[in-house]
Amino acid sequence: MSIHILFEGIDEPGLNRLEVYQRRGGYQALRTALAMSREDVLGELLTSEIRGRGGAGFQMGKKISFLPRGDMDKYLVCNADESEPGTFKDRELMQKSPHMLIEGIVIASYAAGIGRSFIYIRGEYDYQADILEAAIAEAYEAGYLGEQILGSDHSLSLVLHRGAGAYICGEETGLLDSLEGKRGNPRLKPPFPAIQGLYQGPTLINNVETLSTVPHIIRMGAAQYAEIGTQTSTGTKLVSISGDVQRPGNYEIALGIPSREIIYGLAGGPADGREVKLWFPGGSSAPVLTKDDLDVPYDFDSLAKAGTMLGSGAIIVVDDSHRVLDVAYKLAKFYAHESCGKCVPCREGTNWTVKMLQRIEAGEATPMDLDIMASVQDEIIGNCLCVLGDAMAMPVGSIIKKFRAELEEHIEAARERAGIGSLENVIPVGVADAHAGPLPVH
Amino acid sequence: MSGYDVPRFGHGSRVPGWDQAADLTKDPAVIPDSATTLVPETLRAGIEAAMAKYPERRSAAIPALHLAQELHGWCSPEAIEQVACVMRLTPAYLISVATFYDMLETRPKPRNDVFVCTNISCSLLGADEFYEAMVAAAAEDPDVGVRSFECLGACDIAPMASVNGEYVGPLETEDAAQIIEDLRAGGPVLEAKQLRFRRSVDPGAVGP
Amino acid sequence: MPRPEQKEIQFTIDGREVRAIEGAMLVDAAKHGDVEIPFFCYEPKLGNPVGACRMCLVEIEGIPKLQTSCSTPVKDGMVVHTQTDRVHAAQNAVVEFLLVNHPLDCPVCDKGGECPLQDITFGWGRGRSRFIEPKRHFVKPLSLSPLVAIDRERCILCYRCVRFSQEVAEDYQLIFAERGAHTYVSTFDGHPYVAPFSGNIIELCPVGALTSKPYRFRARPWDIEGAGGICTLCPSQCNVQFTVRDETVMRVLARENDEVDDGWLCDKGRFAYQSIHVDERIAAPLVRDGGELREVSWERALSVAAGLARHRGRVGALVGGQATNEEGFLLQSLMRQGLESPDIDSRGRASVPLELGRALAAPSLQAAVPDLEFAHTVLVLGCEPLDDAPILDLRIRKGVRRRGVNLAIASARPSALDANAKLSLRYPPGTEAAFLAELAAALAGPPSSGDISALAKLLLEGGEDVVILWGERVAADALPTLLRIAERLGLSGRAGAGLLEVPSGANGRGLREAGVLPGVGPGYAPAPAGRSAAQIAAAAADGRLTALYLFQTDPVRELPDRALWEAALHRAALVVAHASVLTEGIREHAAVVFPAESHAEKEGTVVHPDGRLQRLRGAIGHPNQVRAGWSVLAEISARVGHDQGVLTSPMAWEQLVAAVPFYAGLTLQEIGGRGVRWPDRAQAAQMPAGSAPSAPAPPGGSASSAPVAGAPANGGLRLGSYRPIWASPEVEISPALKFTICRQHVELSPQDAARLGIDHGEAVEVSQLDGSSAAYSGEAGSQARGKLEGTRVHGTAAVRSGVPQGTAFLADGIAQDSANELTEAVVEVRKP
Repeated sequence: MSIHILFEGIDEPGLNRLEVYQRRGGYQALRTALAMSREDVLGELLTSEIRGRGGAGFQMGKKISFLPRGDMDKYLVCNADESEPGTFKDRELMQKSPHMLIEGIVIASYAAGIGRSFIYIRGEYDYQADILEAAIAEAYEAGYLGEQILGSDHSLSLVLHRGAGAYICGEETGLLDSLEGKRGNPRLKPPFPAIQGLYQGPTLINNVETLSTVPHIIRMGAAQYAEIGTQTSTGTKLVSISGDVQRPGNYEIALGIPSREIIYGLAGGPADGREVKLWFPGGSSAPVLTKDDLDVPYDFDSLAKAGTMLGSGAIIVVDDSHRVLDVAYKLAKFYAHESCGKCVPCREGTNWTVKMLQRIEAGEATPMDLDIMASVQDEIIGNCLCVLGDAMAMPVGSIIKKFRAELEEHIEAARERAGIGSLENVIPVGVADAHAGPLPVH
Repeated sequence: MSGYDVPRFGHGSRVPGWDQAADLTKDPAVIPDSATTLVPETLRAGIEAAMAKYPERRSAAIPALHLAQELHGWCSPEAIEQVACVMRLTPAYLISVATFYDMLETRPKPRNDVFVCTNISCSLLGADEFYEAMVAAAAEDPDVGVRSFECLGACDIAPMASVNGEYVGPLETEDAAQIIEDLRAGGPVLEAKQLRFRRSVDPGAVGP
Repeated sequence: MPRPEQKEIQFTIDGREVRAIEGAMLVDAAKHGDVEIPFFCYEPKLGNPVGACRMCLVEIEGIPKLQTSCSTPVKDGMVVHTQTDRVHAAQNAVVEFLLVNHPLDCPVCDKGGECPLQDITFGWGRGRSRFIEPKRHFVKPLSLSPLVAIDRERCILCYRCVRFSQEVAEDYQLIFAERGAHTYVSTFDGHPYVAPFSGNIIELCPVGALTSKPYRFRARPWDIEGAGGICTLCPSQCNVQFTVRDETVMRVLARENDEVDDGWLCDKGRFAYQSIHVDERIAAPLVRDGGELREVSWERALSVAAGLARHRGRVGALVGGQATNEEGFLLQSLMRQGLESPDIDSRGRASVPLELGRALAAPSLQAAVPDLEFAHTVLVLGCEPLDDAPILDLRIRKGVRRRGVNLAIASARPSALDANAKLSLRYPPGTEAAFLAELAAALAGPPSSGDISALAKLLLEGGEDVVILWGERVAADALPTLLRIAERLGLSGRAGAGLLEVPSGANGRGLREAGVLPGVGPGYAPAPAGRSAAQIAAAAADGRLTALYLFQTDPVRELPDRALWEAALHRAALVVAHASVLTEGIREHAAVVFPAESHAEKEGTVVHPDGRLQRLRGAIGHPNQVRAGWSVLAEISARVGHDQGVLTSPMAWEQLVAAVPFYAGLTLQEIGGRGVRWPDRAQAAQMPAGSAPSAPAPPGGSASSAPVAGAPANGGLRLGSYRPIWASPEVEISPALKFTICRQHVELSPQDAARLGIDHGEAVEVSQLDGSSAAYSGEAGSQARGKLEGTRVHGTAAVRSGVPQGTAFLADGIAQDSANELTEAVVEVRKP
């Protein structure tokens, strides 16, 4: 079941150094690519049908082909702001095999005709940033970066840019603003970054894992790569699995294997005597699944069909020892904290949700509040500037839907704890009919 | 929270200066003039080197603020003015950037940072309890600031913390005291639990 | 640069077929179909849409998600729905979200009644809220600046104010701090938001978060009226709307006119209305009696003024920039025909000969304000737009920011626009002639290195549409060369290119056209030779002129050589003044003072620097005993035996039109609220052609005028002067603007400051280094000179890295320690 491409020998001592990487055949794919025409390299990427590993799952080759041709300054930005809760795959890649990423960046920039590139790494990844910086210096020294790489007509500069702690900078346009030295507020789309991105120039943005895969596609040949995985989810995927499992960590899997195999087979499942209550299949922004969904194949389309998403490929498992209310509260608080504040539904909706959840915990809520909360999530989804609002509203909404009974129990229990009394004696005023009640008109 | 004289919202966000009025005796804060702003030479050189890396100098704002924070301990008004002077930006621009990001501090902070991840994966495994223990352990140490932090990207070692940038985990309550001790000693912190030494769990990842 | 072409397309909105300009944002295009889409953050004046408020979501067929209509350009065949359940649900949701943390304190909110949030909540909200948690509460209101109060509870973070600061004024002082729901509008470290255009944020705010301190709680929207007018406090002549209640101006708002002001106002224009209703204003005629000015009847004052008749042939007149065309016209007629005194001037500095003046004002050579935005290259020469015509500063910034205009600055003093310029060149103060001669040579000669060659290259190769914005401060001997440069660049007759002069006076251009220049009659017709302002001063100081007529100007404050003017006013037997504030020259020397009208009271016309005739209409009645300036002039004229037959202001306009051929046929009706640019009319051909003097000095020919780098040999510093935006008596008496009152700052280069041992912020005094001025002759002259030698101007040292070594810059036009006390080109700066 395990095919290893990215993680093949990842723990080899010193792999982060150029010498070891080269000894293992590193930068051969770059040589191969540079011997091909730019169009042919792009053709390989298109043939591989590799989908972005950052969250949106958009085909990388297509993204490159959206870039306008011509002589203007174009940019490649590697998104290494891995901050989706539960995700830590890029960290391991960058720390252990930085040259793989650099090689991927050089090949991708060649295919796209790009001359300047950046890696935006989250500020917290201090150690990984140091390693990357050293690797970039080595690559410049060896002629893999800089002017006329390996004697070809391709030149590329690469700058490592450290962020300073903001989840929203993982959103591609927020990242661009941050890289331009601004607050990391997402931009309106359109224009999309491929047309108008960094410094207003056409910009290709890809995730660390996606770019790290590029040398392997060239090495293996796109057709062979595309045979791995399913028809619409080609290749292997790094999955970060954490939470209530016995062997948390990153695993490389072929897309399309049953989720159960990852959660139980690889990660060992919850501790003995516990079972899965709910799990996030693609980072904390993905609508939750339950133990009934464990056999869903782990690929982009199957998860979409199940009403959720593969996202960044991060599985968080919550076992039956935890209260679903706490999970919802952690989620809402996180997104409220990380909302950039630019657009109204996200800024106000996340905070309102936090307050409603606090009210449940304080014993001041009724089941009607669940209706309001669900309706607020619906009003956030699709109405925001970027996807951060949806990233809270989708999982929280799914929790309310799938665990309503348990939440109602929490409400009842909390009321009793607070000495407010059982709901049976209460006729809620105002909130009783949230949609038609005689509430004050402003 | 030890060391921090600033109250914070749950997840480390600064309590904002909503109630702060402008001081009408001050002059407007325009771009500081290099003729009247002293900038330490190392800082100036560092910022200029950072600006040289980008097509537009403004891109160096975050690197420059990191440098200033390193030098001054925090992004003090003085530090911001120095960066503003070298970058030819207004101090307001830079404070706007600095307050957006969790790792840039616009209030005085203790020398050592302990960021305890309290996001979902870590909290499922006891991060909130560890955070309490860490706060208690650091209560007497003015040099250690403890913050509950959002996901630091190391859920494989949950519950975990970043101590001055070094990732350590999985943590147990006893580790809190050890962290303080190691910080005082000045050597490596919880060396046995540092992420940098951890091997991959994927059975297929073993080297040839 | 050609302006973008506009193509009409057709789209469907709510079932209606509507035509609109392609590329217009849907929110605007919808108006053509009578569909109103609500919004908060959208404001095209602020640049690209941000899409932050999400209020304007609409459904577009073919796009699955709702789209923000503020950021969606309309395309041919687009089908848009604004009345579907989905859209209504989104609008309801956004209103509810906005009100989550917005206090419902409308009854005590200054914005109540004119609040977009109120209106949109009523029109597009659900009418109820499900938010039952406590709202946030903060201390309020707080000071954001001396002029603006901030109420952070009410703020909906729509980005308008911070975008203004960052993308329009570009002062970047007002910012968002923190993140998410904690975000708030702030400044750096508690510094106030003090900037020349800060007041615009009040008007931009769609809620009651930013309010005007002078206006707060003075009126409610339902008991005020709006009256259109023109601000004549500077040559920008912004279109304004006075908010009037009970014959009192309560506030000033922008009245958007893209051809003039783009909808912005500076803080002087916005807040100096207070000077209309303060005790310091002169509200009744005054006559000097026993050495003191005392209130008298109009009859008494007019009869004293009629005493001008006894000085026939020996009267000199100065006209200030706030005078209307009609007032200027009546006064020049009074002077020339009634008093047989041709000595009348409206230019404070060097005079320009008739032919040269005509050439510079030639309609074919005049650029218009929007040209600053669409030109390929703009050269700012010898002026500081921020101080001299503030609103043009914003226009130039807009051109550079949005359309990539090449900006070049050539000035003595560092400019606020330097950071936006491709090239910034400095020359020693007063050496424009030499500078332009070099530039002309570089334009003619082969390419070479050096700044001037770079400028020449930019002007020649940056694109054909070049606008040269120049100030009246440019030395007169440089003007023939300026004309030659304009000719070399082919600016004449080229749409979108040309010269644009910023005169010193607000209506400087109109007064010249009305004949308020020595030797120049109405319509630039030749007139009997007369004395210029400087010559009037000298002639009055030595007794050749015995009476002076000061129409809304105080030369002691405003013109160069204060000592000479004091001597002149002291010696004159009769000084007649129109003034609204008793500035020092009027207070000490006027025999009779007529209360002058404010710009909210005047009726008449003025001419914008780009030739646009604009109409002033009385927004309020005359307070107290103030009378219209034109009527006082007509009355005095009649009393000295020259009845001009003017009974109303429009009658004066009729006479002016009759006398100025290039205004022919123009009616007040036609000028209306937006103005008419006369150079665009066919009758502009009636403007007499001018010419430049033919023998210009060869470049570098005279050693004295050649730019010399570094400091003068004798260890002194070249003196440069400038007039800050706030230097005006109206500002000084407006309570809200008191904080801006200018004190003298002596701007020094770091090198000179170090050499002189002067630190930034230290007290310094400036004295004349070389007192051998030839201008002082005769008895009065020697008196003046004696005074001059002891002249000491006190100020605070301001060490600025942009100041060229060897030069010191001082402000003039200010109440105390003005640079006009100094007459020498070289000064000494030292610690007292």
